[in-house]
Amino acid sequence: MNIDDATAAANDRLADRDDMIVCVDVDKFYGDFQALKGVTATIKEGEVAVVCGPSGSGKSTWIRCINRLEVHQGGDIVVDGIELTNDLRNIEKIRSEVGMVFQQFNLFPHLTVLDNITLAPIWVRKKPRGEAESMARALLERVGIPEQAEKFPGQLSGGQQQRVAIARSLAMEPRVMLFDEPTSALDPEMIKEVLDVMKELAHSGITMMVVTHEMGFAREVADRIMFMEGGEIVEVGTPEHFFTNPTEDRTKLFLSQIL
Amino acid sequence: MATNSPPSIHHERPPLYRDVTVVKWVVQIVALLLTLGALWFLANQAGDNLRASNVPTDYDFLSVNPGIDLSSGIDTDPDTGGRALWVGMVNTLRMAVAGILVATILGVIVGLARLSNNWLLKKIGTVFVETLRNVPLLVQILFYGAVFASLDRVTADVGPINGWLHISNKGLSMPRAHIADGFYQWAVVLLIGLVVANFLRKRRIAQQDATGEETYPILSAFGLMVVVAIIGWFIHPIFGFIGNIFEALSSLVSSVPETVLQLVIGALCVGSSAYWIRGFLNSRRTPAGLAKLTDDDYFRMIFAAVGGVIGAVFFLVLWPGLSSWMINSASDLFEVLGNKFGNGRSGRPLDVDLPNIVQTGKFPNYGPSGLNFSIGFAAVFFGVVFYTAAFVAEIVRGGILAVPKGQTEAAASLGLRRSTALRRVIIPQALRVMLPPLGNQYLNLTKNTSLAIAVGYSDIVQVGQTVYNQTGKTLPVVSIWMFFYLSCSLSISVIVNFFNVRMKIVER
Amino acid sequence: MQEEDPISVALKEEQVSPNEAPRLSVLQWFRTNLFSNWANAILTILGTLAAFLMLRGVLNFVFSENREWVAVRTNLRALMTLSYPESQYVRVWVALGFVVGLAGLSAGIWSNWGGLPLRRLATWFMGVGGLIALCVVVREPSVIIGTDGKVVRTIEGSPQRESFMDAMVDRSGWWIAAVILLAVGAVLWSRFSSPVRRRGPRAELSITSVVFVGIGLVILSLWVVPYGHYAFVDGTYIAESGTTVAFSTQMPWTVMWVILGLTFLVGRFLRSSRYVGMAKTGSNLLWLICPFALFWVVLRDPALDYGHVMSTDLPMGLAFGLLGGAVLWLLTRSDIGEIGRITATALLVFAVFNWVAAFFGWYPMLQKARISFLLLALAALLAPNFIGDTAKRRQLVLGWLGVMALVHYLATMINTPSTVDLQSDEFLGGLGLTLFVAVIVVILSFPLGVLLALGRTSKFPIFRMLSTSYIEVIRGVPLISVLIFFSVMVPLFLPDGMELAELAAVLTGYTLFSAAYLAENVRGGLQSITKGQYEAADAIGLTAAQRTGFIVLPQALTVSIPQLVGQVISSFKETSLLAIIGLFDFLRVANSVIPAQSEFMGVKREGILVVAMIYFFFNFIISKYSQRLERRVGLGER
Ligand SMILES: Nc1ncnc2c1ncn2[C@@H]1O[C@H](COP(=O)(O)OP(=O)(O)OP(=O)(O)O)[C@@H](O)[C@H]1O
Ligand SMILES: [Mg+2]
Repeated sequence: MNIDDATAAANDRLADRDDMIVCVDVDKFYGDFQALKGVTATIKEGEVAVVCGPSGSGKSTWIRCINRLEVHQGGDIVVDGIELTNDLRNIEKIRSEVGMVFQQFNLFPHLTVLDNITLAPIWVRKKPRGEAESMARALLERVGIPEQAEKFPGQLSGGQQQRVAIARSLAMEPRVMLFDEPTSALDPEMIKEVLDVMKELAHSGITMMVVTHEMGFAREVADRIMFMEGGEIVEVGTPEHFFTNPTEDRTKLFLSQIL
Repeated sequence: MATNSPPSIHHERPPLYRDVTVVKWVVQIVALLLTLGALWFLANQAGDNLRASNVPTDYDFLSVNPGIDLSSGIDTDPDTGGRALWVGMVNTLRMAVAGILVATILGVIVGLARLSNNWLLKKIGTVFVETLRNVPLLVQILFYGAVFASLDRVTADVGPINGWLHISNKGLSMPRAHIADGFYQWAVVLLIGLVVANFLRKRRIAQQDATGEETYPILSAFGLMVVVAIIGWFIHPIFGFIGNIFEALSSLVSSVPETVLQLVIGALCVGSSAYWIRGFLNSRRTPAGLAKLTDDDYFRMIFAAVGGVIGAVFFLVLWPGLSSWMINSASDLFEVLGNKFGNGRSGRPLDVDLPNIVQTGKFPNYGPSGLNFSIGFAAVFFGVVFYTAAFVAEIVRGGILAVPKGQTEAAASLGLRRSTALRRVIIPQALRVMLPPLGNQYLNLTKNTSLAIAVGYSDIVQVGQTVYNQTGKTLPVVSIWMFFYLSCSLSISVIVNFFNVRMKIVER
Repeated sequence: MQEEDPISVALKEEQVSPNEAPRLSVLQWFRTNLFSNWANAILTILGTLAAFLMLRGVLNFVFSENREWVAVRTNLRALMTLSYPESQYVRVWVALGFVVGLAGLSAGIWSNWGGLPLRRLATWFMGVGGLIALCVVVREPSVIIGTDGKVVRTIEGSPQRESFMDAMVDRSGWWIAAVILLAVGAVLWSRFSSPVRRRGPRAELSITSVVFVGIGLVILSLWVVPYGHYAFVDGTYIAESGTTVAFSTQMPWTVMWVILGLTFLVGRFLRSSRYVGMAKTGSNLLWLICPFALFWVVLRDPALDYGHVMSTDLPMGLAFGLLGGAVLWLLTRSDIGEIGRITATALLVFAVFNWVAAFFGWYPMLQKARISFLLLALAALLAPNFIGDTAKRRQLVLGWLGVMALVHYLATMINTPSTVDLQSDEFLGGLGLTLFVAVIVVILSFPLGVLLALGRTSKFPIFRMLSTSYIEVIRGVPLISVLIFFSVMVPLFLPDGMELAELAAVLTGYTLFSAAYLAENVRGGLQSITKGQYEAADAIGLTAAQRTGFIVLPQALTVSIPQLVGQVISSFKETSLLAIIGLFDFLRVANSVIPAQSEFMGVKREGILVVAMIYFFFNFIISKYSQRLERRVGLGER
């Protein structure tokens, strides 16, 4: 099959889905430095989008704008039909629709694993504690560490911590999951256990936007790969397209360095 | 490439009560207004209550004879309330400066003792620190006061060195060096000497860097200063012309019309806020033109503008007396300076007086000519010095411990001598961490001198209390205290910051 | 993570790793630690001289024939409680007993003090024994008291002293004590000196039992040795002659000791039972309430007018409890939506308006009612957090009922006049007052300080500006000026002739002052929370209040425990300033009350010294405890 045909097919396959994340002309400034320059992209429901690019290209900035950890200054972002504006109610809704996993895990060190996971369901979703706890245990089972529930984050390995972080996000039953370099703070042998969880998630049909340099992961599960540089999306395409026939010189250069 | 054309987005503005920016600023402004309102309300209420109980709050007492005697200070029989408070301030500053100096020296010694490898010194240091910092300062001051008060009575012919040094239950009296006629002219000579000496020091350092031979920059600069001081001692009257300059300045200032100054102040207010806004806008400018301003940015600019206008209105309309006050006091200041530097003064810059003992009433006491330290002074002085020294010692110890061992080893491996390593490597780094907490301790010491009130040393608080007991003007006096101490705190933090910044640059 | 103050880190690390020196023989030890080189040797000799002179000076001062320690012994009661009436004195003991019991309970529930190595105990014994022996030798021989009870003087008029040998014989009691201590120490040392060989259960004593037995021995000595002198209050001896402080307090102290032991055992039992969580919360709550309850309820013994209580106070409390509870129950329904917030805001506006109205006298509403409405409004604001299952809703309502019961009870007690019949204006003085002020200030300034710290680190510029200027202004001025300011200002706002006006002023001043310092300590902790924690909390959808309460504050406060303890110590030391502004704390008693008694004219130094020792004792223990705590929390763990 021709590679461009594959891209077209992928686009077709996604075409009849609803839009989950829509970014139009998003600008972001830090002082007088422009970190995002008119980023425009649409991510469909159930899609797994991988974002890659050199360091400082604005990947984190973009992904953090999507759940409003950073406030974009120009353009529009709409997530699941909710526009990210100054509206308090929209911000609340977005935060509980969108889960996020950080590079540094950011677990709460003073709470046990179980409390880390149940905190938001109990206090944000107003679930009864018992229900929240049984869900938390189920999630821990799903990410493969059911026996660590009573421990504190400081007692876990990096890979386990990151899996707890994923469980914590999932506990809010989000429609979108954002991952910002979830494996780059991990030792090589722990990377796999996290990636496995992520792959399982990807196959479960949740919308995912993943910033990562794990090209194997991208090749295997991504529906599309977006390449960023200098605050702009330079190239978008299916993995086949991206790895075998990139159009842009900058993408080629990047791939030659990373592969 | 992404084939989908960007979908059109239907924008809607959220209602005001849900808009983050609006809510954020409304909450803040309401809080600000509530605070200001509450303060205004309380002040008003207090004012009413005070008036009702016949205690007017004004500052008239500053220019009225308070009819009080002070136990020590530059003027023990002040003729206005203001003067009395001024004497108190000088006493506080004296105590603070002397205390800071001695406490630092003592603290460094104790801190080093605790670090030494001599077991006995270490233990003595520990006992010193643990005892003194766990007993409240006031308790210590009262105890020292009680001990000093039980010393022998003062008589005409006792004292360790009769005629030179006396110690008794009235305190300590010793010879006093004081500023005399020609001091200010001499000070000009010293200032010139200082500039020249600094120049010399820099040149010598440059020379040392260039040629590598030891040129003793500090030593030679110091020597030069001494020489200049000695020469200046004799030739200072030639600087009498400086007095004339100050007198000319004085008349120049007094001829400035009030309205001009007023307008200048108003313009300064508006101008500075405009300047700030311009700078702010510049900081938001990007190569691609002005960045999109957030609502916060707009709010900030509006605040700055409103602040500037309010300031201008305040100074122009509500407080027009400010300009005449500024003009008068500046011209007075220059006149005094003109007098001090004036031509007629050719006497010695400094003079020394010996202590004397006078018998005014039934009991003999120290006369005014010697340098007298009352028991109050001694009690407060020992109190703040010991107490602060205990904290300084811990800071010194911690600061030196904070320098990693590797630094000492690195210096040794470079072949530096131990003393050089200490001076050039360890101490600079230790100082950098020690400075902020030390500044804090100096601040505390200055504030702690206020406990002088318990033993009757005439510091600003004690004088103030005497004044309000006489006049009933408690709140004005308290406001003067606060103003005074805040200025002290501010000065100390400015000084500490200055050194802090310098240290950091040195480190890089 | 934000870097911590390098100095305290350095000091802590030194503490944690005391250089484990290899064991040396005595001679070697002297060589390395005292005479390693010439400079060191000279320093050692100078140091010995200085220490010797200092010790001798202190001993001669303390044991001088001029010291009137009897002034302190006679005034012990005044130092502790000033003029609390004799007939009601049992209330003081009840209050103390309550605190002691609570302390025992908490010690039992929480304590994990570990063991005291016998080897360390041996070192202490030998150290104290040696010190006593040294002191006995160093102190100059006493003066000779003639048969007429006066000091025998030489011809020049200086007092005549006994010979050195006589002095040693006179002090044989001290010698015996020193020798016993040394001997016990030596025996213990020789048996347990090597920590490696005998690391077994026998080489350690539990610290709790050592402390308990130690206290017991001190109390036992009251039954044996008649310490003290007649109590002297208001110019007269109030106890019959022959009655000493020891006799009049041996019984109460023994009861205290028994209470301590029993409550400790109860605490121990609770700890191993399944109610431990509840017991912990309960004892914490009791600690929080007990200063207020003891001061206003026990010590003041309010004269309750039961008719009024039945007709007004009780119904009002019930009404607020039940109706408020019902409102809160409704507000936590899961389908409440926006109405909840609107109701809460309306309640808040109403509650604030009540205070304004009361201030201007528009319509009268009891203070209790105003407080209750305010609390109800605050609870209503919190209500959205408790929406959910019945258990959570019940939590809020039960909490509300508890708070109401307590607030109404205390308010009733505070507003009822006291039956304690006072001989002076001062209701309570001495150490009791000092401790009361210190505890209340710490409790009240804590929430305020935390709020200020949050304000100073908040994203909102105006909040930041307000709290920063408050903190900096307060920190820039001395406490005494703040106290004087409030002792002028507060009475202007209080109803005329209110009892305790001075105390209220002082408490306000102290609290506002100490909050500013506390805020700075908490800020240090807040700054050590990483940005990632905030982001993670935001990302899982917590509100700002939840983020602060669940994530930020718990971590920040844990980090700043050492600084907070330091602040407690400073606050306690600062209570000494009560003496300057006209309240009779125990420093004031020592500094001006005792020297004014005709029997003890001008006797000041003794009393002040005792006060200094009491302050030292408390502060030293607190600071040592905080060091232990810190070491246990651990440096590396964070
Ligand atoms: N808070 C900030 N203030 C100022 N500049 C920032 C800030 N955060 C990010 N930047 C800048 O924005 C640019 C984009 O940063 P971003 O973190 O998004 O890069 P990235 O693509 O995630 O890089 P990496 O792969 O290293 O994580 C960088 O040049 C960075 O310096
Ligand atoms: Mg990044």
